[in-house]
This record gives sequence, structure tokens and C-alpha cells, in this order.
Amino acid sequence: MSLDMVQTKTLLSVRNLTVTLTGEGRDVLKDVSFDLAPRQILSVIGESGSGKTVLARALASWLSEPLAVTGGEILIEGRDLLKDPAYARTLAGREIAYVGGNPAGALDPTMTVGAQLVEKLRAVRPEISAADAREKAIRLLEAVKIPAAERRFHEYPFQYSGGMMQRAMIVDALMSDPALLIADNITQPLDVTVAAQILKLMRELNEDFSTAVLFICSSLPVACDAADEVMVLHDGRVVERQAPDALIDTPQHGYTHKLIEELPTLWAEGRDQAQPQDRDRRAIMSVRGVAKHYETRSASGKALVQAVRNVEFDVFPGDNFGIVGESGCGKSSLMRLLTGLERPDAGSIFFEDENVGEASPKRLRALRRKFQLVLQDPYGSLPPQSAIGAILEEPLKIHAIGNRAERRDRARAAMSEVGLPTDLYDSLPTGLSAGQRQRLNVARAMVLEPRLLIMDETLSALDQTEQGKLLNLFERLQAQHGFTYIFISHDLTMVRQVCSRIAVMYLGETVEVAPNERLFFDPGHPYSRALLSAAPTLEERRYRPEDCLMEGEPPSPIDLPPGCAFAGRCPQAFDRCLTENPRLRSRGGQALAACHLNDPGES
Amino acid sequence: MFLARFLARRLAQGALIVFLVSALIFTLLRVVPGDPVRLMAGGMAPEALIEEIASDMGLRDPIYIQFGRYIGGILQGDLGQSFVRPANGAAVGGASFDDSTRSERAEVWTLIAETAPMTLQLAVLAMAFALLIALPIGIWGGLRPGGWPDRFALYISSVFVSLPNFWLGIVLALLLSVKLKLVPAIGYEGFAYTILPAFVLAIEIAPFIIRTLTVSVAGVMSQSFIDIAAVRGLTRNQIIFRHALKNSSVPLLNLLGVQFSMLLGGVLVIEFIFDYPGLGLLTINAVMQRDFPLIQGIAIVTAAAFVLINIIVDLAATTIDPRLEY
Amino acid sequence: MSAIDISPDLPSKARAKTISARIWSEAFASTEFRIGLIVFTLLVAAASLYPWLSDVDPTKMNIRAKLSPPILMGEGWSWSHPLGTDQLGRDMLARTLVGLRYSLLIGISTTILMVAVGAMIGLFAGYFGGRVDTVLMRLTDAQLSIPMIILAITILGVSRPTIPSIILVLGLAGWPVYARVMRSTVMAERKKEFVRGAMVLGATDWRIMFTLLLPLVLPPLVFVAVLDIARMMIFESVLGFLGLGVQPPTPTFGNIIADGRKYLMNAWWIATMPGVFLVLTLTSVNLMGAALERARNKIYAGA
Repeated sequence: MSLDMVQTKTLLSVRNLTVTLTGEGRDVLKDVSFDLAPRQILSVIGESGSGKTVLARALASWLSEPLAVTGGEILIEGRDLLKDPAYARTLAGREIAYVGGNPAGALDPTMTVGAQLVEKLRAVRPEISAADAREKAIRLLEAVKIPAAERRFHEYPFQYSGGMMQRAMIVDALMSDPALLIADNITQPLDVTVAAQILKLMRELNEDFSTAVLFICSSLPVACDAADEVMVLHDGRVVERQAPDALIDTPQHGYTHKLIEELPTLWAEGRDQAQPQDRDRRAIMSVRGVAKHYETRSASGKALVQAVRNVEFDVFPGDNFGIVGESGCGKSSLMRLLTGLERPDAGSIFFEDENVGEASPKRLRALRRKFQLVLQDPYGSLPPQSAIGAILEEPLKIHAIGNRAERRDRARAAMSEVGLPTDLYDSLPTGLSAGQRQRLNVARAMVLEPRLLIMDETLSALDQTEQGKLLNLFERLQAQHGFTYIFISHDLTMVRQVCSRIAVMYLGETVEVAPNERLFFDPGHPYSRALLSAAPTLEERRYRPEDCLMEGEPPSPIDLPPGCAFAGRCPQAFDRCLTENPRLRSRGGQALAACHLNDPGES
Repeated sequence: MFLARFLARRLAQGALIVFLVSALIFTLLRVVPGDPVRLMAGGMAPEALIEEIASDMGLRDPIYIQFGRYIGGILQGDLGQSFVRPANGAAVGGASFDDSTRSERAEVWTLIAETAPMTLQLAVLAMAFALLIALPIGIWGGLRPGGWPDRFALYISSVFVSLPNFWLGIVLALLLSVKLKLVPAIGYEGFAYTILPAFVLAIEIAPFIIRTLTVSVAGVMSQSFIDIAAVRGLTRNQIIFRHALKNSSVPLLNLLGVQFSMLLGGVLVIEFIFDYPGLGLLTINAVMQRDFPLIQGIAIVTAAAFVLINIIVDLAATTIDPRLEY
Repeated sequence: MSAIDISPDLPSKARAKTISARIWSEAFASTEFRIGLIVFTLLVAAASLYPWLSDVDPTKMNIRAKLSPPILMGEGWSWSHPLGTDQLGRDMLARTLVGLRYSLLIGISTTILMVAVGAMIGLFAGYFGGRVDTVLMRLTDAQLSIPMIILAITILGVSRPTIPSIILVLGLAGWPVYARVMRSTVMAERKKEFVRGAMVLGATDWRIMFTLLLPLVLPPLVFVAVLDIARMMIFESVLGFLGLGVQPPTPTFGNIIADGRKYLMNAWWIATMPGVFLVLTLTSVNLMGAALERARNKIYAGA
């Protein structure tokens, strides 16, 4: 890095920067001014549409049609990047490094990661020899805690997991010892535990490499965790800038205030808890020892992916049952099993005393009237060329319910019940917003008047406000129709808000099943604790990530360790965990967990 | 070992394909009307003699027995003998039937082996011409989607693909060979005789390459790793030549695999027009003379070539893009 | 590419139309498509009207007017034979336009046949996957590995070529490409959530395949098939040229050019003029097809 840069008082000053969406003539960034000191970490937070990504791109000299800078200055070492594009070009990738939110698509899939790291460094600093560049790449890969860096250097991007790839992209940025790192939504696509690891890494690197970081994200808790100072962007303007603690305690601007207010909390007491369980009720759905594996071809021949194994839980009528876990934990495979789209290889799934896994196709079709699924993707889940009314009548036609007029009435009734204007009956769903589409999905599922609704990440594509509205809708429908819900989700705060009982999944297993309060205040499995510790929140943390989670990635579901699958990342693992996989066991009071630590003999 | 397993699997699949092709062609030739023996023996031959020759050659046995015998021969590397052609010299006319003893007739394998290199020479030259024409146009078009190079690529490929090869062959032969005397055209007396047919063939192939390239180059250029490469500090030349072109070559390779049979179809017509002594001309003559063993042999050899080319194409694609290795 | 968060929702009007309608309007807006359409319409109008209006019999010989060159080219041309006459004094324009009729008839019906066969096979292979897929795709590979033209001339060469047999042979030789494309699109669509949604609702495979998937994936395939009409017209003319197409005295592009080849030295127009017409027709069809293909790619990339 150039030392003279580090010694100056400010590294980057932005003065009255205005970016316009040409054509529309709308300003996306308005009069943005701020300074960044060397080695500082500054978070920029704002909702989608606030212009934060445009800011990141403007700084990286990466604006393209129809966006254009129409005013202001971006000064580095007193020279304006906007007036001197040649200077901006020499800085790009060299002094100003950029890491984006799409690590999977950031590198050429046909070249090894190592070759591309070397290529990048030699492109911006041709004086460095290939051998030196290679050595540096491996050293940095080690610094970002990629195991077996020497071997990983020769692997292709597709062989990296998402978190690993994001680490590699950080290496890519640090290769040229930049003075400024622009981190644009880098944790967004990652699971919470992996995102927590990346955040921790970024702070360490900031100290080791004395690189200033502009950390752009849309989650206030993450922004506060990551940075020395937080700058709030709203509608293209900087509305305030404070240290994280001060920002939370004394927000200056109304928008920040509202942002903090709306944030759901994990630990706050006094929410309306689900009614105490009635012991005598029969389970509506009962899952016992379910397993499913898929065959894949890998480089070393055929391999078995154990997507689901040892899943056990009961869902009672009127329950809001939650299933949480990170990507790859088998949630989606489990969803396919619960809905009878696929059949389990072992175990049983009883729905009202009938085994879904073994029912004949005809019987299954009849059963489908009683349990329905609401899917995740508001755009992909609706047939693209059917009118809204036709979409709602389709399930009735399939099950030959009613005549034409009756079906039409039922469809219209369902529309008004979920809050869709009935005059949309004949239009295509293409004009609907994500929230309206999910309402339509809910309406389609409930038009058959099922007993059980399975919600597969139904809310994850929606923003906070819209989520709240839909949750209210779910509650109302439950009160009116007596639905039972299963929520499959990765979002702990959502689950905390709505579910009465929760199952935690890790690598295909249910590692813990417990009532809401119990899980959050007395988790029985170290993984649950790690998950809770990594959840972004502004509250005082009950569990610190440093204590709950070790470095490392989850093992591959193709090559599972003999013992507990979490042992490799568990700070409390001991010998027995490496050899014997714990079974789900009662901890009293309807709580179950699969951990040797709960064994009376071990503690 | 990946390579060994890949080859084993693909060669097994290929053998199955060749088997299916031979079964298909064999059955077709026996189901369609027309008696080859009548053609061989000549129109004047008495009915009894025709029957005698036919049963001598096993042509009156049930189809599956004939097919079994044929496959048995193939497994020993024997594609059978031509019905019509003598071992040396030109095809026998239909009128005389005194020289139709089996021993004198040409081996199908020899006939194919003699003509295949000529066709290979034509195909390779044509492919070289086609790439020479199509690469610059296609790549340029792909780099400027919506711009005039893209439009140019669209128009030129639309015109090229609309030129029937036999008509273009005639017109170019008339212009370049007869009127301007630039290149020789009809027959074969040296390498120069390959140039014009290869050029006509190249015009037939080029539009497909242009289209595939413009689409794939434009597609790759809009991917995020290309977009972000400039921010990472790579120069435009590095981005285009080291990353974009490499990534867009996979669809091109696949095209060559799939369109191989189109290339052969073109070869057939072109060779016929230019009287070029290759596999294509051999095929047309075989069909006209109802030389069943020769037709079958050619079909099997081309199917095998198709299988091999596709294996090579897939291997090359895997080398370029290791994600395809599964 | 990470989306620039400037406009979270812009429900544009274009999105409210069905995909096919969008492809049509996109294609229709392009110059290529319009040029193609105009030329094509003129040629089709000429082909359907001229032989009837001008009252010229394309098979009527007139030895006295034989080998008369086209208008303004060479000596002895006349207005009554705008494209000249052939060695038997038959009017070239009338022959060419009648040839165009057969060419279009065979090109279009062949394409319909091969799209239908290919789409069905691809639909079944792509939807059911597994063993059905393996069997159907091996068949497709086998078919694909015999050059279409070899297959066609083999069958037509040993049997007698008639119009239905030509259509059948070309159509049955051309389906594999469609089967492959259809299979891969069906496979991709099948994984989408709305298909899963329909399954959960209890829809049968049959219902999903024919009421949900087919209306969705067939139109884009049909747009691209326009390009194959041109390809099939070329094949038809190749067959005619080899003497395996529609038999004389019915004039087709192929047999006219094959005839004219013998008189290339002293009457060049017999072989070249029909070719010019054929090239014009094909270019117009190809321009329309390419515009449609582009529109399809654009809509799908942006959808």
C-alpha cells in the first residue's frame, strides 16, 4: 500500500455527490457528502431504493447507463476521480477494491481461483512476478482461514461454497493492498452463522491490513456490528452519521428512529405466547425417523447425498410449528417429503393417522385437499399465463368440486378473504407485487379448505412491513378456519414472533425440538445456541458468537462424519461426539435435543 | 479416474447408437419397395435367375436372420460387399449380368476407406474457411449486441443460410471457374479442386457459427464476472480474450457436435455437383444403384464418426469448462 | 449481476401481456421482420396469383420461343416471358412460381410434422425423466447421428417419391433437434415452483403436461421453427435437384435447376433465375425467423 495515503488525515472525501437516473431525470443520490479516514470502518445502511448500491458503484467508478454522476466530487488524495477518469482507472482494483454480494458469479467459472487471483494482482501491479503473486495469494487465502489453502488455490470457483467464495473474493480485493475496500452487501447471500464468521474476519483483516472499509448493507444490526460508525442513507440523502451505540440510543432522524422501532426483537419478553399444550390432543402430523437420500454423480463416481436423516417431530392441531435451519440443512427436502411430492427412504409421516409416505397416488391426491403448501418464490410459484381467477379455480377443478358458478364464487370469496380486490379476477398475476402474489398463493392453498398449511419460506421474499401484514392475515385465517401451520424458515426473528413450537435442523437432522420460550432462553443443543448467537439483533446478546461458534464450514452431506455432524464447529465437543451420533432425547417439558451434553452421565 | 470412466460410458452408449442406426437402416432398406437383385442382374434377366441369385445371397431369408448375419460380419470388421461395384474399375452397368459373381465385387470397407480421406480433406478445409468467415463477424456482433455489428451478423447469416448449396455451387462454378478461370471446379486432379467446393460448404456452415457465437458472446459478456472484472482492475483486452471468448467457446463446440450431420449432408450435395470423388458421391451413387450393403456401410461409418466427434467435443468442452465434468 | 436498487417495483404494461404476445410485438417492431414480411407477402401473392392471372401454362412447350433470355438480358428477349424460357420454350416465371408453391407447401407441412413429433417426444422425455428419458433420448441420438439427407435420399431413392412421402420422410428425419430442445425446456420448467404447486394441489401428470407445460413451452419453439421452414424448403429443392423430389413435369426449384445445369453454357438463366427466387423467399423467411428467435431470446433473458 502507499504509505503517504495512510498518513493523510482523510482517505476519501465525497462532496455533494449527485447521481441521476438519466431518461427519467430522477436523482438517485442527492448531495451526498462524507469523509472516510484511513483504517476506518464505516457502515452505510438504507433500505432497497435508498441508493446505497449506487453510491458503492459510483465510488468504484462503475456506474453505467442509465445512471450518471451529475454533480459533486469524489476526492482521493485531493484528486477528483470524476474529473480524472485516467486516475480513477489506475485506482480501480488497486487502491479501491470492491467486493459484491454475489460471490458465486464474481469469478470466471472456467479458471481456477488461484489463477484469477494472480491474474488480478498482475493486472494492477505488473511489476510483481507470477511466483510472488502466487505466494501472496496462498498466504492471503490462509489469512482468511480457508483450510488447505495450497490445494484450494488450484480449485475452480464452483468447488467453493458460498461462504468460502466470499472469503476468496475478500482475498481478491486485498491482493493489491488497497487503501479502501468497498464491501457491498457481502453478507446478504450467506447463512447467519457464515455471515457472522465473515464479519468477524473482516474486522480482523481491517486491523491486520490497515484497509479502510466502506460496509454497505441493509440490515441495521449487521451494520452496527460491523463498523466504527454508521451512516444512514434515506431516499438518496445522508440523514445521519453516528457511532453504533449512539445511533441506537439517540437516533437523530425520524427515519432512523422508525427503523429501530420496527426491528423485531428476539429476547424481549411479554409477547403473546401460544396457549399451553393440551396433552391429550392427537397430533395432526407426526414424523418419525424420516430419511431421504439422493444419488448424484461426482468427480469420484456415484455418491449419496443424505439430505434428510433422523427427522422426528409432532405437530398438534392449532399449532404454529416452526422448522428452522440454514441452507443445506434439508428443509426443502423435508418439505417435499411432508407434502408427498417425494417418498421417504425410511421412517413414516402420519397425517391424521394416514401414512403420507406410503399412500397410493390416488389416496394421496385425495389427502391433498386436507394439507396444502404455500411456496417460497412469489414469482416462480404462479403459472405465468393464467388469470388470477383461473389460478384459484384450478384446485377446485382438479378435485372436481362444484360447478362453474360455485367455483367462481369460492374463488372470489377467497380473494376478498386474503385482501385481493375481486376486480382483479380476470387479470394476469404479472402486475401484482410480491406481497400480493403471496396472498394469491395463500388464497389458492386455502380454497380447498385444508386442515394443515405448510409455509415454505413464504415470507422470506417480502420486506418487513409486508411480512407483518401477512402474519396478521395468517392469524386471522387461523382464528376463522382453525388452520394448523408449519412454517419452514431460515429467519429466527420471524419464527420467534409467530411459532409456538420450533424444530431446529442441522445437516438433515432435527437436533432440537422445543417450545418457543424454551428454545430461545434455554437452548438444548450447541448448534441452536450458535444460530441464536449469530442472529442479527440490536438487543444485548444472550450468546456471544465468539463463544458459540468455531471457525469452519459444515461438513458435506455426501461425506458425513461418524459422530455428531456439528462436532467440527462445536466449542464444547468431546471425544464421544466424534464417534457416536446423539439421538433426540427429552429434556422435560416437551423439549427434546440431540446432544451428548444433555446426557446426565456426561455433565 | 474420470477420463477412463467417461470414455467407457460414452463408447458403450456410442456402440448402442451405432447398433440402433444399423438396425434402422437395415430394416428400412428391406421394407421399402424395389428389388436390388433385379437391378443387379439387369432388366432382361429371367425371373428364375433373379430368385437364384437372391437366395444365394440370402436375400430371401427373414429380415432378422439377415440382420443377425450382417451384425456378425460387422463385429468381425466385415461390412460386406457391394452389390454392384466390381473390385476394380467403375460400377457395372445394369444391362449385363454375366459378371455378377460374388468374389469379384468390391469390399464395402475398401470403397469407404478409399473415399473418406477425400471427404475429410474437403470437410477440414471447409471448416477452416467457415471459421475464418464466422469468427470475426460472430464475435464482433456478440460484443455489440443491438449495434450495427450485431445487425450485420444477423443479415449476413440470414442471407448465407438462404443460399441453397447446389445453386450456389453452380453459380460460383459458372462465375469463378468458367468465366474468370480462377479455380478449377469439376472432378479432382489435385488440391486446387478442393477449394471451390470447400468454399461453398463453408458458406453453408458459417451462418450457424455466426448465430451461435453472437448469442453466446453476448450472453457471456452480460454475466456478472465479466461486469465485475473491470472493477477488479482487469483491462478490456484481458476480459475479452482471456475470459469472454473462452467461456463462449463451449456452445460453439456443442454446435459442431450436433451439426456434424448437417455438414455431412452438405458434403453429399457438394460432391455430387462438383463431381468430387468422396464419400458423398459414393453415397449418391449407392442410392441410385440400390447398393444396399454400401448404403448400410456408409450409414454405420457416419454414425460411428458422429459418436466419436461428439465424444471429442464433450471432452474438449470439459477441458474448457470443468463444471461440465460430472 | 447484483441489481441496482433504484426501482424496486416497476410493473410495466409490457409485463401484463402473455409471453407469446410480447415475442410477436417485439419481433414485429424490428426492421428485419418487416423487410422479411413484405418480401414474403409479395412472393406468396405472386405465387398464388400469377399462374392464374397470366393464364400461362408452366408445362406448355413452345419450341419456337425456346431458350429466350430474361428481359433486357441478351438477344431475343420478350415481354411475354419476363424470366425467359427453357430448352422446351416453357415460361420460366410461371414455372418458378409454381415451384415456389410446392416448395412452401412441403416446407410448411414438413415443419409442422417435425415440430409435432419432436415436441411430443421431448415433452414425455423431459417430464418423466428416468428410464423414459433414457430410451427416448437414445433413439433421438441414433436418429441424429444419421445425416438427415442420407436418410431421406435413401428412403426416397429406393421407393418412389410423392408429395406425401417427401413430407413424411423429411418430417420424420428432422424431429430429433426439436425433441432435444423441448426436453431441456420441459426439464427446466418442471423444476419450477408453479409445477410443484400444481402437484401439491393434486393435479395429475397428464393435466400438468398438457394444460400447464405445453401451452407454455410450445409457442417459443414454434417461433424458432420458422427458421426450419426455410431449411426444409432447401431440402426439398436438394431432393428435387437429385431427382428425388416431386417428379417432372411438375416444376420445382430443384428439378428446374437440375435441368438448367445442362444448358448452363448457352442459357445460364434457366439454372440461376429460379435460384434467385428461391434465395429471395428463403431470405425473407429467415429474416422473419431470426427476428422471432431474437425476440424470444430477449424476452426470455429479461423475463
